[in-house]
Formats: sequence, C-alpha cells, structure tokens
Amino acid sequence: MRRLPWFIKHRPRTVEEVIDQEEAKREIRAWLEGWLKGKPPAARGLLLYGPPGVGKTSLVEAFARELDLELLELNASDRRRREDLERVVAIAATRRPLRKRLMIILMDEVDGIDPRTDEGGIEVLSRLLESALNPIIMTANDPWKDSLRSIRNKCKLVPFKELTEAQIAALLQRICEREGISCDEKALRLIASRNRGDARAAVNDLQALAENGKVSPEAVERLLDWREKSMNIWRTLGELFYAEEAWRAKRAVTQSEEDYETLLAWINDNIPKKYKDPEDLYRAYDALARATQMLRRAKATGEWGFLRYMFDLMGPGVALAKKGEVSKEKFSFPERIRAMTESKSMREQREELAALIAKRIKSSRARVKAEVLPYLFVIFREGSLEAAAGLSLGYSLSEEMITYLAGKRAEQVVSTAQKLRGGKGERRAERGKGLDGFLR
Amino acid sequence: MSEAELLWVEKYRPRTLSEVVNQKEVVERLKLFVKERNIPHLLFAGPPGTGKTTVAHALAHDLYGEDYAMHMLELNASDERGIDTIRNKVKEFARSRTAPHVPFKIVLLDESDNMTSDAQQALRRLMELYTGSTRFILIANYPSKIIDPLQSRCAFFRFVALSKEDVVGRLSYIAEREGVRYEEEALDAIYEISEGDMRKAINVFQAAASLGRVTVDSVYRVVGLAKPREVREMIESALSGNFEEARNALRKLMIEYGLSGEDVVKQIHREVFSSDLKIPEEQRVLIADYIGEIHFRMVEGSDEEIQLSALLAWLSLLGKRARR
Repeated sequence: MRRLPWFIKHRPRTVEEVIDQEEAKREIRAWLEGWLKGKPPAARGLLLYGPPGVGKTSLVEAFARELDLELLELNASDRRRREDLERVVAIAATRRPLRKRLMIILMDEVDGIDPRTDEGGIEVLSRLLESALNPIIMTANDPWKDSLRSIRNKCKLVPFKELTEAQIAALLQRICEREGISCDEKALRLIASRNRGDARAAVNDLQALAENGKVSPEAVERLLDWREKSMNIWRTLGELFYAEEAWRAKRAVTQSEEDYETLLAWINDNIPKKYKDPEDLYRAYDALARATQMLRRAKATGEWGFLRYMFDLMGPGVALAKKGEVSKEKFSFPERIRAMTESKSMREQREELAALIAKRIKSSRARVKAEVLPYLFVIFREGSLEAAAGLSLGYSLSEEMITYLAGKRAEQVVSTAQKLRGGKGERRAERGKGLDGFLR
Repeated sequence: MSEAELLWVEKYRPRTLSEVVNQKEVVERLKLFVKERNIPHLLFAGPPGTGKTTVAHALAHDLYGEDYAMHMLELNASDERGIDTIRNKVKEFARSRTAPHVPFKIVLLDESDNMTSDAQQALRRLMELYTGSTRFILIANYPSKIIDPLQSRCAFFRFVALSKEDVVGRLSYIAEREGVRYEEEALDAIYEISEGDMRKAINVFQAAASLGRVTVDSVYRVVGLAKPREVREMIESALSGNFEEARNALRKLMIEYGLSGEDVVKQIHREVFSSDLKIPEEQRVLIADYIGEIHFRMVEGSDEEIQLSALLAWLSLLGKRARR
C-alpha cells in the first residue's frame, strides 16, 4: 500500500488548525464573507504570498470546507496554457452560482506559470480577475515577479508569515503523538531549525527519519541537509520595499542570496522607482547613505560587528522611510553596473590619457581630469580640426583616445592629422609607412 | 600652422629660474641656493597655477642641467595616496647611487597636502632617515594641511596668485608666438576667470584660440563648454523633484567625465552659493551643511554615488518645501 505523505495526512482540516497567520485568516474570511453576501468585492482575486510550507493552500482548503464552498484547484502540475485555462477556469469563474454555492478557483503557485510554456496563461487570468463571478485565490512565493505584474495590480495581496521554530516543533510533536512514535525533543527542534519556517519540509523530514528508524539528534544531523532558504534579488526587493515591519525588512536583506555590496547597488537604484514623495525618498537615501558609512567603518576598523547596523539601515531604514504610497513601478537592474560595463573602454581611454598628459605637464591625473581634459574636449569637439589634429600628433594620441575626445568628429580629426603629417616635406618619404607614428 | 602641437601649458612652461617671470621674491632666494649648490628641504605653498611645480623643476634644472630628471623623483600624492607606495619609491630612490658631480638627489612631492596626517608622519621619518643624500620639496595648496613637524623641517616659500599684468603679459606673449588674433578685453576676461591661476588662463586661451579669433564671447563660450552643464542641470532637476533625471546627470559626471565624488561635491557647493541659482537664501546653508557631511563620509571612504544620491534626495526635499 502506498504510504500517504504525512504532510497530506496531517494537513489542517479546519481554519483553526492552520498554525498562526491570524491576520491572513481575518482578511480572507472578511473577503469571502463579502462574496457570500452576494456582491463581489472590489478585488475579485486574492494573491496569498509568503514562503513555502506556511499554510497558504491548506488555509484555502480549510475555508472552503468551513464555509461550504466548492473548490477548483489548479496547480503547477497541471498545464496552464491559454486554452487549458480558458476551458477550465473561464467557464467556472463566470458561471452564475446555481445553488447559491460559490466556487473558489484556487490557482496554486502562480509565480510558477512559465510565460513561455504556459503561453497566454497570465493574460487569461488577468482578464478573469476583472469579470469573475466566483472568488479567485492565487498563491505565490514570489509575488514580485515581473510576469505577475498585470495580476498583482488587480488583486488584494495577503502576506503569510514564516513559521517560528517553536511553532514547527510543536506541530512535529503533535504528529509524533498521532503516529505513536517516540521522539527526542531535541531532534524535533533540530528538524524545525533546519527547515526554517517551512512546515511542509519539516514534516517531510520527520517522516523520512521516522521511517528509517529512530528520530535522534544524530540521525537528524546525518540525514538532513541544510535547506538553503535564501531569497533571490527580486524577492529581496519586494520583501524590502513593501515591508511594514522592521523584522521583515531586516530578514529581506540578511537572507538574500546576493552579497551586501550588490544589494546596496540594487537598493540604490530602486529607491526612486518605489518612493516618489521627496520626503520618503530623502529618508530612504539618508538611511542608505548611513548604511554605506557603517560598511566603511566595518572595513576600516575590522570590526565586522558594524555590519549589523549597516543591515539595519539598508533594510528597515529604507523600508520604514515610506509614509506615502509605494509606487507600482517595476524594479530594475542597477544602472550603474550597466553603465560601468558599457563605458569601460571609454574610462580606460580617459585614464590613459590623463596619465599621459599628467606626466607631460607635471600634474596629477586627478587634476588633469578635472582641469585639463574639459578644455581638450572643447578643442576636439568645437575647435578647429587643425588644433585638434596638432595635439593628436604632439601627444601621439591613439585612435581610441581621439575618439574619446572628439566623439563624432574623430574621423575628421584623424584625417586632418594624416594630412598635416603627410604634408611636411621631410616626412613625405615615410608616407608609405602609414600612420603608425601616432596611430599606435 | 606647425604640424605637431602641444598644450601651451607644456610648451610655454619656463625651464629655468630666469625664465620665471613672476614670484620674484621666491625666485631670487632660490637662485642663491643654486649659487651655493645646496638646498634645504623646501615647502612651496600657494594657490593652484601659481608656478610651484614649475619652479621646482626649474630649480632642479638650474642645479643639475638638462638631465636633471635623472636626479629627481617626482611623486604626486593625489595619485599615489598610499604611504607605502611613497615609502617604497622614496627608499629605493634614496638608496640608489648618487652621481659623483651631484651633492644630493631631490624628491618632489606634489599635492602633498592630500596626504593623510599618518602618511605625513611616515614622511617625516623618511626625511630624517635620508636627509644626507636626499632633499625633499613639498608642494601644497594649503600649508595648514601640512603637519607642524614637516613644516618645521622645511624652508617655507609662499607663492601668490598671479597679478593681472603677469597673466595678460604671458598670454599676449604666447599670442604673438602662436599668431593668435584676439581682442584686448578677452585677455582681461580670461584673467578674471582664472583668478590668478596661470594654468587655467592658458588652457582657456588655447581652447578659445582653437575656435578662431579670441573674443570676450568666445572666452565665455569656452568656459561654458568646459564646465559640465550637468552640474547645474543636476541641481535643477533635483530641486524640481525630478530625482531620477538628476541622478542620471550625476552618473554622467562621474562615469563619462570621470569626476571624483569630491570634484562633484565641490562643484555643487560652488553652484549652491551662486546667485544664478534661485532658492530661498536659508536653504543655501541647509544644503552646505549636508554637503559637508557627505563630503566627510566620502573622505572616509563611503560609497560616493550613494552619498551623492542622498544629497540629491535632500535637494529634492528642499525643492518641495520651497514650493509649498
């Protein structure tokens, strides 16, 4: 006989049994009651989001049972192409309830809808959200995915909290009692801590251990791998900018899979995307600027404990800067990184040129960049071609350097230089050799 | 028109002390050292473009002749900030053999007021250690940034901003040699703009000459072109609440023009106190206060773009308050 996975066998049957998530329960209940009164609420869809294994799907199932509603579930294992969705969902969702019985359409893991293989699926869903006559509930781990934007704007978003170790340990304890197995309390806590916040994964691990023999701390150590729970950058940003509580914002930056230098760059670019009120903008940047100062202090002193404050400032400091609305503009890739990559060769030309001239006029590169190059730009871009060409020859500038200085006029400057050079009587003999004298 | 051309600041740089037309007092004292064929450690201080570096080279030239560069190590504290680099180079140079006809070698340390006080302390030990074989010439804009123990080891020479006669005289000399046509008032205008900085005056003059006859208008045109418009635009975008546009301008300044965070901060500061910028008077002080704070953080080594972004956000906020 096939053994039933414990996480299904011991799934919560009632709303009450779902661990914690009190706020989400309140919101979902109020929303469903709105439907039951016969009038669809303003938002016809809910998007439940939060880490895996915290009870999103279970809670919807429990509500359907408790409120006696029909439930149509579609999850990632079903095909969700346009046609499939149109057939199954559209009909059900626009059907007028015959016996006053509503049908919850539960779309599990919508962040898993692949825009390529599940062609058009999102569009159908998005249209559905405008006209649905039945409640539509979706779940996602990462609601900030780009692909979900059109859906996100039409839904009410309901956050789910990560479960605490104590809550998960208590759940494991209850399951052990029901299954009649004896368990080491320390082992349960270990399983709970190894599955930070994810009840489903913890229950799976418990089952695996129990079926292999004794559930002891050693066995836990041996069998369980550390489950990486790090957040990708998009989720980090979503969690951070929408966080209302300090802990959530702090978790976003400390559990990101990106290192803090990268994170600083991403946050730096995305503050103006999400905060439009200058008050919010200023508070956020002030916090971020302080964060980089803390980072500097950590590096300068070798006291890495200062990083704690850096995280406080770049996470909660930025998140709680908002008093106004968070803009719906999407997150973007850091422009600075792109600009630096694109301008790499240009910057190299500039540095080489500055070094060359600094040596000749006996000044520093920094001073040349600030006080001499601006005039060279004027000469090369606005001045006479002869003057620019003469300087190109005088300093044996490479073609790349001339391009850097002259921009669109580079070709003209080069050809003028060729003429100047070739025009001189004593150099005529060398003409055949070309221009390698100055075009190295 | 000759074929190859140089920057006039290089081409018309005085090579010997006698060619130096200004800083007469300084030059006379230095000529005495040349006569005695001995110099103490020297500290040249004064505003930019007043001839400090030029005079140091001319002095070495007069002491050692055309090949003076063989006996001189030139370091620039702006580009070689680490005292370790300086220490290693100085050590290596001081230990190398001194040519028999030369009594000592010279270490020229330009922009030495850009050294941290720790680095200056280390330099002080170097000066003591190698004083037998090596003389140091320190060059600085602000002598107050040079620690006392270094100052007390050096003979102090103050360079003053050039007079109008010096600047105009030099420019007309160059004009004659280069065949540049100009109107007299244009040279006055260049002097005003240069604030007695000869390097700047000559650069402006050369750029203006490349546009044709040098007129007051062409001089101002050059100055306008050479000053990145982005600084003013950046400030105005920020004040009008367009933060992202302001930040794009900031990136252009730093990435394309290669300005350092400190350059940007200085330019913003200058603009903030310019009467062209129409903001409530008391805001100039509020901005300066914040500029000072982020400037300090950048000197400490914090991320420059993020610090400057915070400054732009502050400008946006002040702009919003002023509109209310």
